[in-house]
Amino acid sequence: MRTRITTVVGLAALAATMVACASEDDSDEAAQPDGPITLDYWAWGTSQDGLVEAWNSAHPDVQVRRTDAGGPSDSSAKLVTSSRADEAPDVALVEYQSLPAMIVADVAMDITDHVGDLSDSFNEGVWSQVTFNDQVYGVPQDVGPMALIYNAARFDELGVDLPTTWEEYAQAAADVRAADPDAYISTFAPDQFGWFAGLARQAGSVWWEVDGETWTVNIDDATSREVAEYWQNLADEDLVDTGPILTPEWNAELNDGNVLAWPAALWAPGVIHGVAPDQAGDWRLAPLPQWEDGNPNVAFQGGSAVVVTTSAEYPEQAAEFAAWINSSQEGAEVQIETGQYPASLLGQEATLQSDPPELMQGQDEYWEIAAEIASSTVDEISWGPNVNVADSAFQDAFNSAVTDGTPLVDALAETQQVVVDDMRETGFSLSNE
Amino acid sequence: MDPTTTDAAPSVQTGVPRRVTKPRRQRRIAPYAFVTPGVLLYVAFLLIPIVYAIYLSFRGLRVAGGAALGRREEVFVGFDNYAKALTDGDFLAGFLRLAVYGLIAVPITLGLALTFALLLDSGVARLARFSRTAIFIPYAVPGVIATLLWGFLYLPATSPISDVSEALGFGVIPFLNGSTLFVSVANIAIWSGVGFNMIIIYTSLRSIPKELYESARIDGANELQIALRIKVPLVVPALVLTGLFALIGTLQLYGEPTTLRPMTSEITHTWVPLMAIYRDAFLRDDLSLAAAASVVLAVGTLLVSIVLLRFTQKRAFGE
Repeated sequence: MRTRITTVVGLAALAATMVACASEDDSDEAAQPDGPITLDYWAWGTSQDGLVEAWNSAHPDVQVRRTDAGGPSDSSAKLVTSSRADEAPDVALVEYQSLPAMIVADVAMDITDHVGDLSDSFNEGVWSQVTFNDQVYGVPQDVGPMALIYNAARFDELGVDLPTTWEEYAQAAADVRAADPDAYISTFAPDQFGWFAGLARQAGSVWWEVDGETWTVNIDDATSREVAEYWQNLADEDLVDTGPILTPEWNAELNDGNVLAWPAALWAPGVIHGVAPDQAGDWRLAPLPQWEDGNPNVAFQGGSAVVVTTSAEYPEQAAEFAAWINSSQEGAEVQIETGQYPASLLGQEATLQSDPPELMQGQDEYWEIAAEIASSTVDEISWGPNVNVADSAFQDAFNSAVTDGTPLVDALAETQQVVVDDMRETGFSLSNE
Repeated sequence: MDPTTTDAAPSVQTGVPRRVTKPRRQRRIAPYAFVTPGVLLYVAFLLIPIVYAIYLSFRGLRVAGGAALGRREEVFVGFDNYAKALTDGDFLAGFLRLAVYGLIAVPITLGLALTFALLLDSGVARLARFSRTAIFIPYAVPGVIATLLWGFLYLPATSPISDVSEALGFGVIPFLNGSTLFVSVANIAIWSGVGFNMIIIYTSLRSIPKELYESARIDGANELQIALRIKVPLVVPALVLTGLFALIGTLQLYGEPTTLRPMTSEITHTWVPLMAIYRDAFLRDDLSLAAAASVVLAVGTLLVSIVLLRFTQKRAFGE
């Protein structure tokens, strides 16, 4: 029996040592390479192979190896885990909304010294998404200013007018239902956290505010509740479909012409083209409907930046890579070709010389409209350190509200509570009650 | 158990006592040498991870210092994670859903498996070998593939079943909504599980001596009576075994609902306990809470298994 106890104790000690080793930080001293080096880069999306290829052919001494570690949330989750084991890639793509969580988890490295002078290459709103307390934690790659894309062919067929305000959008939704009972103007997808956050931001709500060291969470503020009530009304009157989007079910409805529009962001044409290639040329881009007439402000939905991780052995070279692919002419060309809307000013100007995406064939003014939308984005960061918690809580609360028929504003309050509780438990200073 | 006692026998047979001393020491080492690889693997891949999970369950990430984006550090938090897991309504509701799911899936899986096994064994079934393979094949289909396959059959826009029901005027069948969802999820597990369980029961049936049936027939028993009075009682150990597997499988339900989740608003991130554990570990980056919840689930599984075996042991194994 005694031997058994000593074994267990020994194992526990062994396990504890392993933990201690794993959590030990590497020295912050940046190493300089003696010869050619290879950097690891985690990123999703269709632009990445082209970006890496362009970099590799221009930089023989610093080669980059790209791994697709899954979509935005999967990739971020793996990044946190691997960083804790000090096994993270040198460079990684991260959504703007996950960046604060990456800083708190000590994944993203402060790269102000390497890329601080890049601020002129981006507009202020975009640069603010990667800057926290004057420290730069990433280089913006693409942005997703919110926009409306709609099936113009079907709009004409049903005689529905293009809405410019959300009030008109509700009317258009009713017109669609009246003209074709099988069709809906769009889907209120209860699991689209970033989408709803963008609409609330457009209406003027700032979900996370920070004053010095104290956070305030406003997910459940009056403005956001109004946004929730707006969609509640549309859903209650059966003017929008409710349910998940981009499922086999939804894709089939889209292909049948029963989904007429998608309020999303500038990356949306590529997504719709992927599921409904036959509708190429039918779709058009328009500014997102407004909450107040004459106020063209929109928020961002999605978009991502490239961070250098704390596991990086050669931070200087890694930062150089992040800067180059996101602010060079070569990088911008690859992004535009593959359907990303570049974050850099240079890239956004280059779009004006490009053809519209295939889904919008024939809409020659596509990129002008896109540029106009991008110039009216609301700046100011509004992402907190636990967006991942908010995201999953939002999805569960809103999904349940839609299936059980309970008010969306209650789901909003529930999400707020989960986020506040989590921040308080983690030890952040909060002004919420 | 003293390994030397049994090993001593051959040396007595050889009748060469002179060689006894040296090999004896070797024999004392040999058994340990043989079990070493097993023990090492067991320690490395089972014991250490378990100890580490228990250790993690008492830790938590907390912000150091007061900065707005302060770094989180791992600290000892006592039983906080356990308190949180055991009072988390979503986590506990997952167990209720498991119960509903289990009440549908387990009896139907075992019932069908037993019925098919008895039919195949009775000798009256035609194409027995073909049927056996046909029933077993779904088990060879990977769970995720099976779920996607059924998902397409469930979703109204892609489902031929709904096409038929609509053509007949019954409208769309809401496979993935309301309480039908439980049946739909259970159906996938039943579809994949029946074959495996049937093979276990069938194998057990084949090992019953044929003389028993003969004497039963002489006593005037018909095939149904033989099946119910002789075969079923004799395969109870196999039934207990498959029941235990089914029970543990129920508690480990994860793949099917996770794969179906994007297709329906009904399935939350915490629909079953393992999904909640995954969410905590990887979506919320709270590995410690996930570890505590895992320990709770593991202890629960162990207790349920012990209770099941206690209840059935006497009948099943005559112990």
